[in-house]
Formats: sequence, structure tokens, C-alpha cells
Amino acid sequence: MEITMNVNGERWDISAAPADVLLDVLREKVGVKSPKIGCERGDCGSCTILLEGKTVRSCLVLAVEVDGQEITTVEGIGLEGLSRLQDLLLNNNAFQCGFCAPGIVLSATELLNNNPSPTRHDVQEALAGNLCRCTGYEPIIEAVLAAGSKAGAQ
Amino acid sequence: MTTTFPFEAETAEKDLQSVGTGAIRIDGLDKISGAAQFVDDIDFGPGLLHAAIVESPHAYARIVSIDTSKAEQASGVVRVVTGKDFPYKFGMYMEDRYIFAQDHVRFAGEQVAGVIARTHREAVQAAALIEVEYEVLEPLLDPKAAFADGADLIHPDLGNYTHVPWFFPTADTNIAHWRKIRKGDTARAFAEADFVLEDTYTVPRYAHCAIEPHVTVSKLDHADRLTVWTASQSPHTQRHLFAEALKPLGFTHQDVRVITPYIGGGFGGKAGVSMEIMGAAMATLVKGRPLKVRWTREQEFYNTYQRQGVVAELKVGVMNDGTITAVEHKLYWDAGAYVEYGANVVNAAGLSATGPYRVPNITNDSLCIYTNLPPGGPYRGFGYSEFHFGLESHMDRIAEAIGMDAVEFRKKNAIKEGDELSYGGHMNPSGLVEAIDKVAAAIEWGVDEESDNPNTVMGKGIACFWKAPAMPPNASSASFLKFNEDGSINISVSGMELGQGYLTVMAQIASEILTVPVNKIRVETPDTDRNPYEWQTVASHVTWSSGLAVEKAAVEARAKIFEVIHQAYGYEDDSLYLENETVRCSTDPDFAKPLREFVIDGIQTEEGTWRGGPIIASGKFMPEFTNANSDPETGQGGHPNVHYTVGACGVVLEIDKDTGRVWVRKAALAVDAGRAINPDLVKGQIVGGLVQGLATVLYEDMRFDEGGKMLNPNFTDYKIPTAFDIPDEIIPIIVEVPQPDGPFGARGVGEHTMIAAAPVIANAVYNALGTRIKSMPVTQEKIAMSLLEQRSL
Amino acid sequence: MVIAKEFEYQRPATLGEATRILAGHPGSARVLAGGTDLIAWLRDGAVAPDLVVDIKAIPDLHDLRIESDTLHIGGLVTFSDVIGSDVIAERAPLLAEMSETVGSTGIRNRATLAGNICSAVPSCDAAPVLLGYDTTVHLTGPGGDRTVDLNDWFLGPRRTARTDDEIVTHLTVEVPVHGGVYVKLMRYAGEDLAQAAVGIVAYPNDVYRVTFGAVAPVPFRSARIEETLRGRPLDDELIANVVAMVGDEISPITDIRATAAYRTRMTEVMLERGLRAARDRLNGEGPAYGERLI
Repeated sequence: MEITMNVNGERWDISAAPADVLLDVLREKVGVKSPKIGCERGDCGSCTILLEGKTVRSCLVLAVEVDGQEITTVEGIGLEGLSRLQDLLLNNNAFQCGFCAPGIVLSATELLNNNPSPTRHDVQEALAGNLCRCTGYEPIIEAVLAAGSKAGAQ
Repeated sequence: MTTTFPFEAETAEKDLQSVGTGAIRIDGLDKISGAAQFVDDIDFGPGLLHAAIVESPHAYARIVSIDTSKAEQASGVVRVVTGKDFPYKFGMYMEDRYIFAQDHVRFAGEQVAGVIARTHREAVQAAALIEVEYEVLEPLLDPKAAFADGADLIHPDLGNYTHVPWFFPTADTNIAHWRKIRKGDTARAFAEADFVLEDTYTVPRYAHCAIEPHVTVSKLDHADRLTVWTASQSPHTQRHLFAEALKPLGFTHQDVRVITPYIGGGFGGKAGVSMEIMGAAMATLVKGRPLKVRWTREQEFYNTYQRQGVVAELKVGVMNDGTITAVEHKLYWDAGAYVEYGANVVNAAGLSATGPYRVPNITNDSLCIYTNLPPGGPYRGFGYSEFHFGLESHMDRIAEAIGMDAVEFRKKNAIKEGDELSYGGHMNPSGLVEAIDKVAAAIEWGVDEESDNPNTVMGKGIACFWKAPAMPPNASSASFLKFNEDGSINISVSGMELGQGYLTVMAQIASEILTVPVNKIRVETPDTDRNPYEWQTVASHVTWSSGLAVEKAAVEARAKIFEVIHQAYGYEDDSLYLENETVRCSTDPDFAKPLREFVIDGIQTEEGTWRGGPIIASGKFMPEFTNANSDPETGQGGHPNVHYTVGACGVVLEIDKDTGRVWVRKAALAVDAGRAINPDLVKGQIVGGLVQGLATVLYEDMRFDEGGKMLNPNFTDYKIPTAFDIPDEIIPIIVEVPQPDGPFGARGVGEHTMIAAAPVIANAVYNALGTRIKSMPVTQEKIAMSLLEQRSL
Repeated sequence: MVIAKEFEYQRPATLGEATRILAGHPGSARVLAGGTDLIAWLRDGAVAPDLVVDIKAIPDLHDLRIESDTLHIGGLVTFSDVIGSDVIAERAPLLAEMSETVGSTGIRNRATLAGNICSAVPSCDAAPVLLGYDTTVHLTGPGGDRTVDLNDWFLGPRRTARTDDEIVTHLTVEVPVHGGVYVKLMRYAGEDLAQAAVGIVAYPNDVYRVTFGAVAPVPFRSARIEETLRGRPLDDELIANVVAMVGDEISPITDIRATAAYRTRMTEVMLERGLRAARDRLNGEGPAYGERLI
């Protein structure tokens, strides 16, 4: 099937079979590599993308479902320089292996877009679907809280 | 929550510029921006082939026949392979393992056949068409049953296997290795002890659960050069194992190239060679085409290394004053179907199963026992987490029985510099007592805490830990270093950035010596053609070993820099020093030559000729004081371990008396890093390792059915921590008793931070509820049902 | 796992078109809403339809509104929609409490309540709460529109009163004044499927609806417990009486997630804590919605 999607501000015309999953189509046909293949069941969150501004697990979406829709990945977040959140994550040495980082950045970005001053519990809730095996989450939570501490920030 | 740093590093030197600072990771921007490339992110073009693997549903069976005819005819299929195509054994420390199963399958999930196809979907569809007939045999799923006389032999040919000289298999049994420590006279010591406690502790298997699954892309080009892109902790060791395994096909090391970009977590699971051999081998049959083999999460669980299970029988004797006089520790390891790597876990544990204590009389046995379960292999902690569960639980019980405080008991027996080790060597400088004291203070040991919730009770626990790297005695590291025109540096090493911050630490070491800022130093990920040798990134040894190699390279570069200056300007080498990327001279304060002006171009003399040229350097390190000469019957006489890292952990728990739910309100963990090259990264290991350790004791729960098949190979039912599952407060404590032969005094900490988690929880649960749980995991269910039972008595 | 068996995909623009397509593929078509169940089942090979019918383009299925005491939850309303809804926060915060326990944000942004009750796994989260209200499922199919009382909806594990060619257009939920609680047994603080669940809605005059989930083939209300409670103010003795009935009312299994004995024991604890909390919340007190009781 022929579908169109807008990925990080750019229009893509793609051929995809109905059974082709969005995660695979993004990685192989659009060439966006930041959403990762971690479990293919929606359990780990490393495939997270923003679909029309909301986080979804792209491993549980068929490519044909997003015809005409807007997708943002972490490459699209940092197009004009790192976001304040990314800066804080970087400076807090929040990530280790980095495999979960794209998904976490998107989940935290969605949180801050909806709730500029989240509590610690809010942050944990927003990130609870993104598994990280390396960090124990603390430095990530600290950075997201710091990103939220000034209401109305980016 | 706060992560607090209440204790200053006592050996910090004021004039260090880079070492000892929390420098921002040099790979941080890559990871934050999505730029970081992992193996599956690399594009190989439209010619990329895909493999799907057929695996045995049975834990133990004879392969009667394999019919690949339908698969061969299926759409998109290029080639189908079975064990017949690669009848070769391979293995890290023992050659007991096959590329594809031969006559028998020995664990549920073992690879039996592979399909190479043009698309992933076609490979999977074709794989489903392969018909395998098995004669199902009775699997051995319990190490003691496999150890018993008369048990079926999982490897009947064990007596003929090639292995390292410091392994001791028993032919015609399932005992692949038996590490014995015999020291002093335990029989007499037990007879004379004032108190003896004997019990059994059980620890099941665990999964690494790195978020990135194993993946390889292999290509045999038309010049017969095999390149393997792989998510591996060990590119050079992988190259070695690929070359060895494929030697029958004519390969040697120069024909094999391994390239490893960033990896998405290792934890030991990506060390050695597990699934990677399939891709490397199959690629030789599709010359000119790259072939990807990517594991699903399910395969990641059951067909890569697992952490071995163990049944630990422990007997400890003490005097009334708390002195430990004897330890008898029998470890029956459920080591799995192939132990080529895992046997070293058994070995390492056997050498150190006394724990970090001074023990004069020891009878320890660590038995590597074949079972029909997935191959056990390296997992963060390498056997130490497994035996510390029982050991540190046991120590608490003894302390209580003789009326001694658990902290005082540990301090009294804590091993100190110079004390004799199980195998006859001597303990390195270390701050175990300091670690115990600081942890005890951080959780206010001795102060009972009350819960203000009528449904819950509070408890506190303490445990300590130690571990040494488990390596062959000649494990080595090497490094190249070069400058660029802008004064920046490239360092080339084959250690792996697993996430622990290795690249940054190497940069900090070089930065300290060469005064080039860390953000002007690139440390290149491995390519075995370009980067010099590193044994593996395991054992928590690369800060020490590779750090020494990088330090030497930096020192050599500095010497060459000073030599060029000397040749050009005549200043004596010993009057020169580096400051802010500039050469200065103590006898001529006005002299200041920026590095970037000459590190490529050299320096022009008055005659117009040039001196110098590109500054390049190298360094290598191999310990020259280790050997594996230990006596097979007593374990004495060798020097297998380079040094130990020690530490302690304490927790404050709140437990729901009805539901068994455990909240970790506070956790303090102290580790003696010798010198924290980057305290932020050490803190990262403390927090991350602690959370991973807590998960193994609180809710990770691997289950097998009676046929030996894993029942929960997914994150839905094998639970790893989420952002909700972390302690309310973690207090990381860095102790710094320098490692005399370490770079700036550093030693490794990566694995150590998870070792004490399991026993510290068991001890705190006992403190809170009076219930002693001797098997892992200590789940909500176990606690709730144990409490229910207590109430009904 | 890649989806091995391919299928066709259609995205109808109207309900009529959708039901006609479904009627034309009896037994071989699947409805796709949020996809968090269906795509996982396709990947596992647990289902292998010839056709997937995506209903997300159909208008009017996204409505979440209240008319007097009747909550209207459209067939495409997601768990995130419920959590973010002011109407829900004001009139039925229990639904938001339950919704927050389902998966994680990335799942909740797609997964629908209607889909949750159509998938009808025994640990279905929406059921123990929706059964505590007068809830009606509204369907449309080739034969026209019909309604099914939620009490008649669940027929067995993954089996409901819906026929293959029907689509859930919306749920109506009666939400007069009430307090409620959704207590879910999980293995840790992170996301999990229910190993046991208790949904309680407390109405004025000591009327309770008590529903058990994940401890029987279908979620179900305990008539016996509800009768025992009816009209009697809650006190320790009454609570103890109904807690003692739990073992006979439920039939949990032992599996890798939990043993039957533990599920039973925990259901007793959940019922006890839940009853007090539901009653307190009816009276405007008690733990805030969203606070875990176990």
C-alpha cells in the first residue's frame, strides 16, 4: 500500500505491506534509527515515537495506520539545538548505554509539554513504560525534574 | 529522593585537573541526540540477507532427522543450514559447544537449523517449514541430580574436551570443573568451634535483560575476508573464537575482522560468543552478501547466556568472641548445557567463597555441573552475587546466635591488607571496615525505626561484598594515541563502552597527563583491524588494565612531546611540563608552546628544517604477577586474582505485613574504588548496580516447566525494574584506599555494586519480620505466605 | 517477532462501511482500534486474520461526555483520554484510577476501554470497575444496533457477547453519587497485569457492588457478598464476614505469576482494604484516588 507520513518535519511517501510494523518501516524505509527494537511487544518502550504529539509504542502500530500523520523522533527534537531537557540529561550524565535514551527523551518531552512542573511521581509515571537496565533511573528523574522546575520553559 | 555525597574522598589530591572530576560523558551527546549508532542501526544496503533460526523445543533429545526440503523451496530462501554444515566445536575456556546442534540438543532453545532469506519475513516463514524429528530424552534439570552417581551423561565425551589447564573436569560424569580449596584443618576447627551453623541456600537462574538484544551482521567478501559487526563486549575475543571455530574452513585471525559500535547494555551477556557464531558461520555460505541475525526478546532470554543457578551448602564455625575459624562452602552450580564460559564463573566463585573475611581453615568446593538448561555464562558479579546471598545471610544468623551485633561481627572478621586468601595469595589494600562503618552510619544502624502505618513494619539490613576480576593470567590491554592538527587526541582501544563510561574514563586519564580537555579527546570504538588488543570488557577490569595502557600511551606521548621541544629549543626534558595544552618550562617562565602548533607539523628550526612530526604513542598492560598454577586438589599455590574490590551495603525496608510488599526506603552502598576517576560514573554504577541487584532478590523470577522449557521469556512475566521500582533514597559512598598498581590508584567497581543486594534484603526482611528466607527471589508472595504461615502456627 | 502471515487492511470511513466489510469476511477479519492487543497477537501468531479493519477513521467514536448521570464513553476513547478528562475527574475518578494501572502512557495513548472489554482477558482491568456501575455496551452490526448489559457481556476467557461482525460504538455508564476503588494485585510497583483484582463501588445507603477480576475465567460480581453487605453499615464484623466468603466465591488458578493460595489470600486483603476505602470515598474522605491500597 502507498502511504504518506510526516517524519520530523519531512514528508515521506512509502510503500508498505499491511503487515509491516511502523517501527520497522521507520528504521528501514525512512532510515530513522533512534526508535529501537527491544522487545517487539510494547513492554520496553525503546520503540517509542511521538505520533501526532503523543507517545506510542511503534512496535505495536502498523505502518499503514499512520497514513497522513505526523511522527516525531528524538532526531526531530534536537533539530535546532538540544532541548532544555536534553541539555539537563546530558549534563547530569543521566544515560549509560543510551539504548533507552531516545524513548525516554520522548516520554519526558510529552510529560513536560502537558505538565510543565511535574512532581517526582508524575515523572516516574511518565517514564514507567521505558525500561532502562543501566542507570536505576535516578539521574534521569533528577534531570527531568530539573527541566520542569521553571514553569513555561521549553 | 536525593543522591547524597556525604563523604569526601580521603585521598583526593587538590592538583588533579581531570581525574576525580565528574566530567560529562564524551558519548553523552551521541546518546541524547539519537546519533549513537548500534549494530542494528547500520545500513547494509538492499543486498542484506536475514536469518531465522530453528530451535529445539526439547531440553534433551536426540535429533533423528531434519527435513529442510520445504524450507529450501520457500519464497526468498537463499540457503538452509543445519549442524551438518558446521560440525565444529568451539568454546572460550573449554571446547564443548557447537555452532548448530549435532546429534543431540541439550537445552530447550538450542539452535538446530538456520534459514537465510532475502527478507526477515521470508526467513521466518521458511523456518516454520523445517521439520525436525526428535527422540525426546529425560532432561536433567537439577544440579544435584546431575551430580549424583549414575546420572545420565550430558557430555559423554567430556574427558576428551580441550580446555584451559586450570579447569578440572571429571571424565564420565556431568562435572565439567571442580575447584577445590583445602586450607588448614576444617574438621578440627569445627570440632573446636564454640558455635557452628550449617544450612543450604538456593539461588535460581537470572537473565541479563540488556535492552538491546544480541545482533550480528556478518559478511564474507569476495576476497574471503570475514567481517562481523556485532554487539559484543569482547571484539578481540570474539575474533579469536570465530577464527578458532572456523579454522576447519581455513580461517585464521588475519581473515577475520570484528567491528563493535556502541552496545545497548552488556552485563556480561554480550561477552564471549553465544549466538554470534551462527551469523559468522552462515555468512561463509553466502559469499559477498551481508547477513543479519537479530535475536528476538524471547531468544534473548533462553538462547544466550544465563546467570547460573546454585545450591549452596554452607557451614561456618566461630568462637564466642566472634572470630570465624572455619568455612565449608559447597556450591553445586546448575551450569547448563554448555559451560565453555560458565565454568570460569564456577572457578571464580570457588576461589573466593569465603567472602571478604579472614578464614584460616577452609574446605570449599565449587562444582560446575552440566544440566539440560540454557548455557550459564558471565553475568555481572560472575558467581559472587550468587554465593553472597547465602554467605551474608549466614553471617547475620551467626552474629545473632552468638549475641553479637551484625556490623561488629563483620568488622571483626573483615579481611585486611596482607591477610592470606583462600588460595594462598595476600589481600591488597582495601577499605572494607571503612565501607562498613560508613554504610552503617548512613542507615543509622542500631536505631530501630518505627512505621507510622499500622499495616507495615520497618527493618534494617547490612551485608558486605568483595570480588576480584576472573581472568586468564595473561589478560591484556593495549592502546594507541595520536594527536590532530587542532591539538585534539584520538585514542584507539578495544575496550567497550557498555554504558559504564569507559570511553570517558580513558579520556580523563589521558587528559590528566596531556592536559588536553576531555571534550577534545575522542576514544574510538573497536575495530579489530585498527584498534589494538583488549582481552574483553568484563571482570570490572578495564578501568585498571586499559587505564594503565592508556596512561602509558599518554606518558609516552608526553615524553615524545618533550623530546621534540628539547630537539628544537634545547630545554632539558626534566624542566618541561604541560599546562592547558601548552608546553611550559620551569627554568624559562616565558616559554609557552601550544601543542596544536607542532603535534602534526613539527617545529621549524632556524635553518628552516623541521623537527618532530606527528606525535603518536602506544601503551600496553599485561599483569606479570598472576598465574593459574593452583594445585587441583587444594587450590593452593597460584596467584589467579589480581586484586579484590570490597564494599558494603545497608538498607532500610518497610514491609506490608499482609501483602508482603517491600519498599526500600533507604539504601546505602559503599564501594572502594581506589580512586574514582569519575565520581559521577562511579555513582552511576552504584545506583544502577544496586537497582539491578535488588531486582534479582525482589521480583525477577525465571521459571521452567518440567520439560526444561523457559516459561517467561518476556518482560511481561520476567519483571525488571521500572522508574517506580527504585529505592526512595540511595546514598552512594565512594571509599578510596588506592590500588597501588592502578591508574591514579583506581580499581574496578562495575560488577560489585549489585553483589550485596540479595543478602541485604534477606537480612532486612528477617530484621523486620523474624522470617528467614533462604531461597531467591524473596518475592512479595513468598513473604506474604510466610507471614500467613507464621500467624497460623 | 515479525508478523509472519500477511493480511489485507481497510480503513472504513463510516460504521456502516465497517460492518459491511466485517460481514463480508466472517471469521477471518479482525477489528483494529488501539492495536495494543491485536498487533501483539499478530506478532505472536496467536491470531492470523485475512483482513484487518481499522476503525480509527470513523467519526463520533471519540466522544467522552456526560448527560445527567449517564457517562458516554465512545468506542475509541483511550485510557489516556479517561485519565485526562475533567468529566471523569469530577464524576467518576474511579475510572481514572483504574486507567492509570493499565500499562504505561505509551500504551494508554492507544488502548481503548472498549477494546479492553472486547479482548476480555481474565485480567481485564476495565471490567471490575465497569461492572460496579450500570454499564451498557452499545453495538452496531449488519443486523442493526443493539445493546448488551455488561453483566451479560463476558462469556469466557477472550469470549464476549459480541459477534465477529459487530463494532462497539460506545458504552453508557450510570454514575450517580458514589465512591469506589480499584485494587490490583501486581508483582511490583511497575506496570503489570492483574494477578487478582477487586473493584468496589459504594452507593448511598450501604449498597455495594463488588467485582472480582483475574480470579476466575471471567470478571464477575459476587451476588452473595453484595447481598450480605446491602443495607448494613460497614463494621469490622461485617467486613470479616464477607472476607471469609472470598475463598468460596473465587476460583483462581496457579500459574507462573502467582499461586491460587496467594491470590485468594490477597483478594481477602484487597476486599477488606477496598471496602473501607470505597465507603470513605463515598463520604468524601479516604485515600485520594490513585493511591495504591496494596
